[in-house]
Amino acid sequence: MAEANVHMEEQKRVTPFQQFWSSFKKQKVSFAAGAFLLLLFIVAIIGPYIAPYEPNEPDYNQLLSGPSWQHLAGTDDFGRDIFSRILHGARISLAVGLSSVLLGAVVGTVFGVISGYFGKWIDSAIMRVMDVLLAFPGMLLAIGIIAILGPGLVNVVMAVAIFSVPVFARIIRSNTLAIKSTLYVEATQSIGSSHWRTIWKHIFPGTVSTLIVYFTMRIGSAILIAAGLSFLGLGADPSTPEWGAMLSNGRSYLNNAPHVTFFPGLAIFLTVLAFNLLGDGLRDALDPKIRE
Amino acid sequence: MKLSRLFMILSLAFVVVAAGCSNNEESSEKSDAENKKAEAPSNEEGLTIAVESNFTSMDPHDTNDNQSYSAQSAIYEGLLGFDEDLNIVPVLAEEYEANEDSTVFTFTLKEGITFHDGTPFNAEAVKANIDRLADPESQLRRSSLFELVEKTEVTGEYEVEVTLKEPFGAMPNNFAHPAAAMISPKAIESSDEIARNPVGTGPFQFTEWKSGDHLTVEKYEGYREEGVPKVDRVEFKPVPESGSRVAMLQTGEADFVFPVAPNQVETLKDEAGVSVVNKPSLVVKYFSMNTMKEPFNDPKVRKALNYAIDKEAYVNVIYDGYASVTKSEIAPDTQHYAEQEIYKYDPEKAKELLTEAGYPDGFETTIWGGTSSLKQKMMQFYKQQLSQVGITLNVVPMEGGTLGDKIWGVDNPDNAELELYNGGWSPSTADADWGLRPLFSSKSFPPEAYNTAYYENEKVDELLQKGLSTADDKKRGEYYAEAQQIIWDDAPWVFLAVPDLIYAEQEYVDGLTMLPSGVMDLKQAEIVSE
Amino acid sequence: MLKYSIKRILGMIPLLFVISVIAFLFVHLIPGDPARLIAGTDATIEEIKNIREKYGLDEPLYQQYVDYMANLFQGDLGTSIVSARPVMDMLAERFVPTLSLTFASMFWALLFGLLIGVISAVKRNKWQDHLTMFLAVSGVSIPSFWLGLMLIQLFSVQLGWFPTGGIGGIESYILPSLTLGAGVAAIIARFTRSSLMDVLKEDYIRTGRAKGLAEFKVINRHALRNAMIPVVTMSGLQFGFLLSGSIITETIFSWPGLGRLLINSITARDYPVIQAEILLFSLEFLLINLLVDLLYGFLNPKIRYEEGS
Repeated sequence: MAEANVHMEEQKRVTPFQQFWSSFKKQKVSFAAGAFLLLLFIVAIIGPYIAPYEPNEPDYNQLLSGPSWQHLAGTDDFGRDIFSRILHGARISLAVGLSSVLLGAVVGTVFGVISGYFGKWIDSAIMRVMDVLLAFPGMLLAIGIIAILGPGLVNVVMAVAIFSVPVFARIIRSNTLAIKSTLYVEATQSIGSSHWRTIWKHIFPGTVSTLIVYFTMRIGSAILIAAGLSFLGLGADPSTPEWGAMLSNGRSYLNNAPHVTFFPGLAIFLTVLAFNLLGDGLRDALDPKIRE
Repeated sequence: MKLSRLFMILSLAFVVVAAGCSNNEESSEKSDAENKKAEAPSNEEGLTIAVESNFTSMDPHDTNDNQSYSAQSAIYEGLLGFDEDLNIVPVLAEEYEANEDSTVFTFTLKEGITFHDGTPFNAEAVKANIDRLADPESQLRRSSLFELVEKTEVTGEYEVEVTLKEPFGAMPNNFAHPAAAMISPKAIESSDEIARNPVGTGPFQFTEWKSGDHLTVEKYEGYREEGVPKVDRVEFKPVPESGSRVAMLQTGEADFVFPVAPNQVETLKDEAGVSVVNKPSLVVKYFSMNTMKEPFNDPKVRKALNYAIDKEAYVNVIYDGYASVTKSEIAPDTQHYAEQEIYKYDPEKAKELLTEAGYPDGFETTIWGGTSSLKQKMMQFYKQQLSQVGITLNVVPMEGGTLGDKIWGVDNPDNAELELYNGGWSPSTADADWGLRPLFSSKSFPPEAYNTAYYENEKVDELLQKGLSTADDKKRGEYYAEAQQIIWDDAPWVFLAVPDLIYAEQEYVDGLTMLPSGVMDLKQAEIVSE
Repeated sequence: MLKYSIKRILGMIPLLFVISVIAFLFVHLIPGDPARLIAGTDATIEEIKNIREKYGLDEPLYQQYVDYMANLFQGDLGTSIVSARPVMDMLAERFVPTLSLTFASMFWALLFGLLIGVISAVKRNKWQDHLTMFLAVSGVSIPSFWLGLMLIQLFSVQLGWFPTGGIGGIESYILPSLTLGAGVAAIIARFTRSSLMDVLKEDYIRTGRAKGLAEFKVINRHALRNAMIPVVTMSGLQFGFLLSGSIITETIFSWPGLGRLLINSITARDYPVIQAEILLFSLEFLLINLLVDLLYGFLNPKIRYEEGS
C-alpha cells in the first residue's frame, strides 16, 4: 500500500507527456528508430534540393553502372542516379504511407467510436460491414480496388486506406466500449451532456494513445503494400522514384546489377523497420498496463 | 526449452537474413555450385519446359494464345503447317491445290495415320473438323479462320474438297494456322471435354494437366514417322516470374525456357552449359497516332514524331539490343514483306517539321498503354525523347481490361479520346493481309478491329481488297508492297522495332525449334548426352 | 456450445448472401470486357461476339444477376470464361496447394514467433529482447517479393539446395513457406511478447516467484498457458488470411494456388471465378472466426486462472 501511495504522488507531479517521455526514452531501440524517422522526414523535405542529379534524367552511357563516387548508389537501367531517386522518393513513399493510413484512421475511428458509443443496431450494422472488409486479406482488397480505379499513386493511397478502415474501427470500438462503461462517462451522460460532446470531450481523448500506436504500425504495412502493388504492375507509374516501383523494376537485374534493387530495398526495409520499432516502443510507453 | 538449442535456431534465422543481404552485394562473383553444368536427363525422364503463363485450353479450335498452341503442336497436327522460315508445308496432307480464283481447295491426305485413340485419319475426319470450325453456332474462338468456308465435301477416302463463299488468296495460311489442327472425330463427338483431354495425331499424346502446375505429354508409339519423337516425355511448367524461369535454367530444373526477358540474357550468357538463342519474331512494335485528331491529322506532325525518336536507342534501352529497327509495318518474316526507308533519328528535322506544321514550341499529348514494366519503360522512353523536341508527353498506363474499354468501347471515331497508343501486332497467320488489314483498313476502326490510328486511305483500302481476292502470289506481292509504301509515307504510326524471340536451353537439348510466330515445335527435340 | 455454433452458422447465411451480391457488383464494376480479353490480341469482332453470347455476357445485367443467383442456390458456381471448366473443379484443384502451403508457413511462424516472443518477454529490455524483437520485426519489414527472390538466388541458384518453385516434395515447400511465414512469425512474436508481459505482472505469478519457484517453472507452468489465449486467437486469424493464398509468393514460386488463380482471373476478367473466390474467402474467414471464438471459450481464461492460483 505504501508503495502505491508513493507512486500516486509521483504521478501528480509530472504531466502525462513527461511521463510518456521518460518511459519512452528507456526504449533505446525505439528511440533510435524515432531518431531515424526524424532524419527521414528531414530528407523528405530537403531531399530534392540536396540530390546530386535529376531523378528522371537518363544517361544512356551509364546504364546499370555500379556504385561509385560519381553515382553513390549506382545507376539504373535508364542510367538514372539511384541515390538521387531514393532522396526524391523519400517524400513519395512517406506521403503514400502517411496519407493512406491517416485517411483509414480517420474514417475507421469515426466508425469505431459511433459503433461503440451508440451500440445496438448501429453497432451491429457497422461491425458487419467491417467484418466483410476484414474478410479480405489486404492485398486482395487492394488489387480489387486498383482494378476498379486503375493504377496510380492516388489510387494506391485509396486502396490502402480502405483496408485500414476496419482495423481502426475494431480497435477504437473496443476502446470506446471500455471508456463508456467507466463512471465518469456515465456521470456526464446523466448530467445531460449531448452525445457529440461526450464523444468529443471524453471518449475520443481516451482512444488517442491506442490510435497513435496503431497509426505508427500501419504506416509500415502501407508502404509494403504499395511496394507489392508495384510488383504486380498496379502501383505507381515507374518513372516516379517511388521506392517500391524502383525495387520492383530492378528485379530483372538481381544477378548482374544487384545494386539496382539493393538500395531501394534497403530504404524500404529500414523505414518500415523504424516505424514498427517505434510503434512497439510507443505501445510499451503508452500502454498503462505494461507501464511500471 | 533449452537455451542452447534456441540460440542455434535463432542464429540460423540470422544467417538467412544476413546471407540474403550479402548475396545481393556479392553475387557477381560466381560460386562453384552456380557454374556447374546441369546434368542431362535420360530420355525416359524427358524434357522440362518452363513457359510464361497458364495454358488456357487444349482444344486448338478454341484457343488463341501461342503458348497453348505450343503444347498443342506436340499433340496435334494440321493438314498444312509452317516450317521454321514460315513457308507453308504439307503435314497431314500429301499435297493440295487451289483453283484459279482461289475458291476451291483440294487436299489429298496421307494414308495409314491413326489418332491417339485409334480412330483412323481420313477424309471423314477432316470434314468433321472443318465443319466444326466453320459452324458459326459452335462459337469457337477461332471460327473466324474458316468463316468463309461454304462446304466441305468428301471426294474419296483420302480426298477432301473445301469450297469458299468468296475468293480468299491467303486461305492456305489459315489451313496452316495452329488452330486448324485435326482433332479425333471421336473426341469431337464426345464434345466438350476436348479442352482437357486432347486427342490428335501428333508425336506426343496427352498424359496429364494440373492447371497452374504442369502439363505432361508422352511419346505416341504409333507415330507415323520412324524414330520420332526422340524423347519419351515432355513436361510444361507455367512460371510467371521471369527471374524464376531463368533461375530454373541455372539450377537445371528446366531444360528449355521461353520467353527470356532481354535484360536477363546477360545473366544466362555467363552460365556454363546454357545457350541463349535469339531470332526475329513476327511482332512489330509501334505507337499509333489518332489521325483524326489535332495535331496528328497533319502528316508533318506524324513524321516529326517518327524523326524525333531514336529507334536504335529504343532497341538498346528497351530490348538490350535484342530487336531490330523495323523497316515496314510488318515483320520481315511475314509474307509479302516490302522493305521501306527508315525515318532516321533527326531531332532537328523533327523540330523543323513541327514548326512548318505550326507547332514551333511543341504541344502536350497523352499516350495510353499497358502496365507491364516493359511497356511502361517504353512509354518513359518516348517521353524523354519527345521532350527533346518540345513535346510534353503524359504517360497513362492502364490495366488491360480498362485499356480495352477505353479504346474498343468507343463506337464513333469522333468520340475517341485516344491520342497515342503504345501497341504491338503479330499476325498469327504470318500473311500480309492479317498484318495490314486489321490495322490500316478504314473498316478496321475500333471496335471492329485494331486501327487505333483511325487511318483512312482509299487507295490502301482498295489494295488490301485486291490482295484478298486473288491467290496469285506475284500479284498479291505487288498489291501489298504498294500498300506498305503508302502507309509508311502517311506515317499513322511511329514505327519502332521488331523484337527478337529469345529462348534459352541447356546445351544437351537439340532439335527443339521455335517458329517466328512464337509457337514451339517439339517433334525433333532430343537429349544429346556426350 | 453446439447450440451456439449452429446459431452462428445459421447467422452466416444472410451475410454470405450479402457478400454474393457485393461480389457480383464488384466484379461488374471492374472496367474491361472479358470477351475481348479472352478472345486474344488479334481476334475479330465476330469471335468476340461469339464469346459474349456463349457466356451470356451480352444479356442485360439484371438477367445475368438472376442467372448467377439461381445457379448459386443450386450450388453451381458457374463455368470459367477462360478455361470453360466448372469453377468448382478449379477451386478444388487450387485449394489443396494453398492449404498445404498455409500449414507449412504457420509451422515456421509459430516456431519462430513463439520462441522470439517468449525470449523477449522474459528478458524484457535486455539485449536478448532487443535482438530477437529486431529480428522478428525485420520479418515484417522486408517486401515479400524481394525476400522471395533473394531466397531463390541464395538457396536455389547459388547453393542448389531447394527447387526454385513449383509444388513437389517437402523441399519445394521450404522457400515459399519461409517467405510467407516471415511476416506472420513477426506478428505472433509481438503478440506473445506483450501478452506474456501482461501475464507476468499478474499477482499469482508474483506469488509463484515469491514462493521461490524456479523462473523456468513459473513461466512454463503458469504464465505461458494464460498468455497463449490471445496468441491462439491471433494465429487463427492469420491462418485464415493465409488460406486465401498469397498472390505475390505464389507468383514468385510458381505455386498453383488460389492467390495466383485470383490475379489471373482478375486480369482476364473471368467473372465467375472471381465471384466464387470472393465467396470462398468470406466463407473461410467466417468459419475460422467461429472456430477461434469456440477455441477461446474452450480455453476460458477464468478457468485457467483459478487452476493457476
